[in-house]
Formats: sequence, C-alpha cells, structure tokens
Amino acid sequence: MNTNSHGQSLGQPLAIAGGVAALAVLPFLAGNAYLEHLLVLWMLYALLALSLNIVIGYLGELTFGHAAFVGVGAYTSAILSTQLGLPPLLGLPLAGLVAAGFGLVIGYAALRVVGPQFAILTLGFGAILFTITNHWVDLTRGPMGITDIPPMAIGPLAFDSARPTYYLVLALVLATAYLCHALVSSRTGRAFLAVRENAPLAASLGINVFHTKLMGFVAATAIAGIGGAIYAHYIRVITPDIMGVHNVAALIIVVIIGGRGTILGPILGALVYIGLLESLRVAGPLRMVIFAALLTGTVVFLPGGLISLWQRWRNAHKSENNLPATPTGLPSTEGGAK
Amino acid sequence: MDFTVFAQQIANGLVNGMAYVLIATGLTLVFGVLRIVNFAHGEFYMLGAYITYFVGTLFGLDYIAAAAISAVVVAGLGVAANKLIFWPLRRDHEFTILLSSLGLALLIANGGELLFGADPKYVESPFADEVLDIGTVTLTQQRVLVFAAAVVALIAVYLFIRYSRFGKMMRATAQNPDGAALTGINIGLVHTYTFALACGLAALSGALVGPTVMIFPTIGNWAVLKGFIVVIMGGLGSVTGALFAGLLLGVIESLGGGYISLGFMEAIGYAMIIAVLLWRPNGLFSTARGLR
Repeated sequence: MNTNSHGQSLGQPLAIAGGVAALAVLPFLAGNAYLEHLLVLWMLYALLALSLNIVIGYLGELTFGHAAFVGVGAYTSAILSTQLGLPPLLGLPLAGLVAAGFGLVIGYAALRVVGPQFAILTLGFGAILFTITNHWVDLTRGPMGITDIPPMAIGPLAFDSARPTYYLVLALVLATAYLCHALVSSRTGRAFLAVRENAPLAASLGINVFHTKLMGFVAATAIAGIGGAIYAHYIRVITPDIMGVHNVAALIIVVIIGGRGTILGPILGALVYIGLLESLRVAGPLRMVIFAALLTGTVVFLPGGLISLWQRWRNAHKSENNLPATPTGLPSTEGGAK
Repeated sequence: MDFTVFAQQIANGLVNGMAYVLIATGLTLVFGVLRIVNFAHGEFYMLGAYITYFVGTLFGLDYIAAAAISAVVVAGLGVAANKLIFWPLRRDHEFTILLSSLGLALLIANGGELLFGADPKYVESPFADEVLDIGTVTLTQQRVLVFAAAVVALIAVYLFIRYSRFGKMMRATAQNPDGAALTGINIGLVHTYTFALACGLAALSGALVGPTVMIFPTIGNWAVLKGFIVVIMGGLGSVTGALFAGLLLGVIESLGGGYISLGFMEAIGYAMIIAVLLWRPNGLFSTARGLR
C-alpha cells in the first residue's frame, strides 16, 4: 500500500491476509443477489481504477481516454464471442491484447506531450474511438449496442451469476494489486516514480522517460481491456456509452477520492463510489453533482485521498507511542518539484 | 464539384469556426496569462446560452439585451470560480489545477441538468429565421450575426490586450508572474479580470450560437472539446493561433461533413489535432512564453 516497503515486518502480511480473507467471505455475508451484484461492480471498478492508477498515480499523467480502452476490451471480447462464437475465456486475453495494441499506438503518439496537452490528446483519442464505435454499425451495431453476450465459463464452471464472477474479478484485483506492488518496489517502478517526480532529472540519470511512460501506459490499457471484457460478459449488454465521458469521469473520481499512487486507494475509492452510487439512487441527477463536489473537495482539501486519512492517523498514533514515524507522511501524491 | 455548394460549405465553416475562435480565445487567455487549463470553460458557454434563454423567456427582454446580460452574469460567475478554486490553488501543481477544473466542469454541467432539466431548449432570436443572400451563399441573419459580433469582440479584445493599462498588466503577468508582481502589478486583479474576460467571451459565444442550435445542459462538454482542439492546434496561449486554427477547424469540419461523412465529422477535428501535435508538439503558432 505504501510506496516504500520498510517497516511493519510482521503486521503487514497479517493485515493483508486478513483483508483477503474478509474479501473472500463477503459474498456469504451479503445475503442477497442485489448486494452480491454490487460487490461485483465494486471489484470491477477497483480493477479498472487500479489500472488507471498506474497512469495517474505512478506516471503522474492525467489520461481522459481510459474508458475507451475499457470499451475496446469489452467490444473485442463481445464481438469475438457473439459473431465468431469464440469461447469468452479466450476472448479475455485477446481483449487485453487488443486494448494493449491500441494503447501502444495511442500512447506512442500521445506520450510525446505531457501535462495538459497529454490529457487533451487522450480525450481526443477517446472521442475518436467512441465516434467510430458509435458509427461503425456493421461491426459494433452502433448505438443499439451488442446484446446476448454469452457469460464466461471455465469448463463446467459458468460465471453467469454474481458470486462466481465476484471471485473471478477479486482474483484479478488481487493479482493486479500484487503486480502494482511488485512494480513499485522494482527497478522499473522506481523509474516510474522518478519520471513522475522530475522527468528531466530522471532522464539525466539514464532513464528513458518515453519508454518508461509507454510501458506503464500499455500495461494500464491491457488491464483496462480485460476489465472491460469481464464487464461485457457479466452484464451481457454493451453500448458505446461504456466509452463515454461519463465513465472517464467516474474512473478518475474513484482513483482521486480513494488516493492516487497507492494500491488500497483505488479499491477503497471504488467501494465509496459504488456505495454512494447505489445509496443515492433516489437523488437522481443530484448524484453526479455530489460526486463532482467530492472530486473537487478531495483535490483541494485532501490531495492524498481517503487513504491518506488513515496514514495521517497512523503517523500521529506512532508519534504518541514514541515510535519512529514512517518517513513518508503523504506518499508524495503531489507531483513534487515544479 | 459544384461551386455554389462549395462556397456555401466554406461560409458555414467560417461561421462555425468563428464561434470556435470565440470559445478558444478565453481558454487560451486563461492559459497564457494564468497557466491554468480550465476544463470548466465550456460550462460557461453552456451557462451563457441558458441565461440568454431564461432572461429572454422569464423577463421578456429582447435577444440582444438578454445576450449582454448573460455575458455580464457569466463573467461574474467566472470571477467567483476563480476566487473559490483557481486563485487559492495557484501555487499548486498543474495536475491539481487540471483535476479541480474537471471537478468544477462536472459540478456545473450536472448542476445545470438539475436546474434546467435535460430536455432541449431553443433560444429565441429575431434573426434566427431571416435569411440573407450574399452572392451565391445563403445564411440566416443569426449566423451572420455570430460572425460579425465575434469579429467585433475579437478586435476589442485585441485592442484591450495591446493598448490598455490592464492589457499590459496581463501581458506582463503572462511573461513572468513574479517579475510582474515585483513591479507592483496586482496579480490578484489580473486573475480576476482575465477570468471575467474569458468567461464573458464564452458566454457571448453561447448566446450567439444558441439560437442556431438546440441547447442541452451537456453542450459545455462539446464546447470545451472544440475549444481545446483549437487551442492545442494553434498553440496553448496563442491568441493568433486560436484565430487561424478555429477558422481552419470550422472549414475543414464543414467540408468533411459535406463531402465525406456527417457521422465521422466529429472525429475529423480530433484527427487534426493528433496530426498537428505529432508534427509540432506545441501547436502551429507556438514560440516562447507570453501572450501573442
């Protein structure tokens, strides 16, 4: 969770094991299909937010095109299974590959610029993919969307209801979380953070800034594609709206509210988002106003996201007990030198 | 190729392009002077169109007065947004500013949907149904008004920046905010009226374009996208660049929509910025820092 790995030699593995165990028994506590469905949505958003977090949190670039890659993955797997009859299980890695291919081409073009230009360029690429999906009726059925997408299955085990899908996505979330953890403590991950904090300095130390960023971007888009494919086979209907600005905003809100640049942050953010989305269903259009206010409020008052509240509390707690506080109060959520 | 159709497409494109220029000028001013990329800029365009509509229907004022009132009100709202969000964050990282402006955009767009309703509205204008023939080209008076009013507004902005005391303060701030502050320029004041000017221009654009289309609470999204395409193509911070890029985008979209496909017209603009950015990553008219 923290970007550094020292400290808590015993407490951390125990806490992680406890957390995973709690997540594993959650569907049994949920009690009804509706809550189980919400758990699946939580995990799906957590997966997508973790992938977006690689770009926003670790590379320090704001992308507005992420939902488009989710859509590319969803459409790839949906088209392969409905039109070519390919088993969805094969479609899943293919969706990741195709999304990564798009990510490679788009990232190769867009990562030449940074900051606001990059954000706007990804917005443009996202809008192009949306427009094509919306108008290429022969392939994607346009605004009508693709219906009757078959559910995923491994042999006799069909992921046609919420509970098995939950475990599938949970496994992917844990795998992605572990990958992010391994990445951040690896040489490549440190290169990511160095590029985020100060690109010219990183370049002067022999880090290839462009390749480092491209690698992170492609990894993020591949995971987004897989997440999109699972979504398509779970909900079983997709429309071009999956690529829309609405979804982009939702994913950014999840990452920022939870806490960018951390692993627990996006998972927590997804929980808050899905929880509020459902509990505020009666509020109608007011919901998005609340989310927008939350986003703006978090950016202004709590730049580290909700997760930083806990870190703050823990640091305060430690200094009370005269233990040495962890050196990183906020794990450098601000982009550092600028 | 039929010349009449071609000329008509060019004329339509120039009118649309001029509206883009008006949106983009505010966007590029805010970036050039204050280094703020304001994703909420399009929402001020939306508010401009809606306030024109409501002033016209609720208070029964005529279109010109309604448009003027809406520009002034929205300029005030822009100042408020600056005071609440952008001014306190001015020392923060650009990432924070980008995100907070995105939050503001979502806030205004969804708040607008809540207040105004999601159904389309029509801004009444006495010029909307009158037709003007210029040679072989036929335009509604409203579209001629869009072009003419935009030209007048842009010339006024140019003279303001070039010759007025306030304009000189803006240019000084654009070149070096700390240096400008050291010479006694009130940076807070520059922030305030740059936002007032930018948001007023966006609202004017909304009020002018409103009668030629249906308005929805989500048009701000469309407006900011067009604005960004133009600003990025012309070079962030370049007013001259915005002028040429805006007209170019309008004409190319119009020709593309007429001769290739209406459905893919939207994508043409994006394809254009991508091509421009690959060729010149800082835009067509970019040079060193400062207002041009």
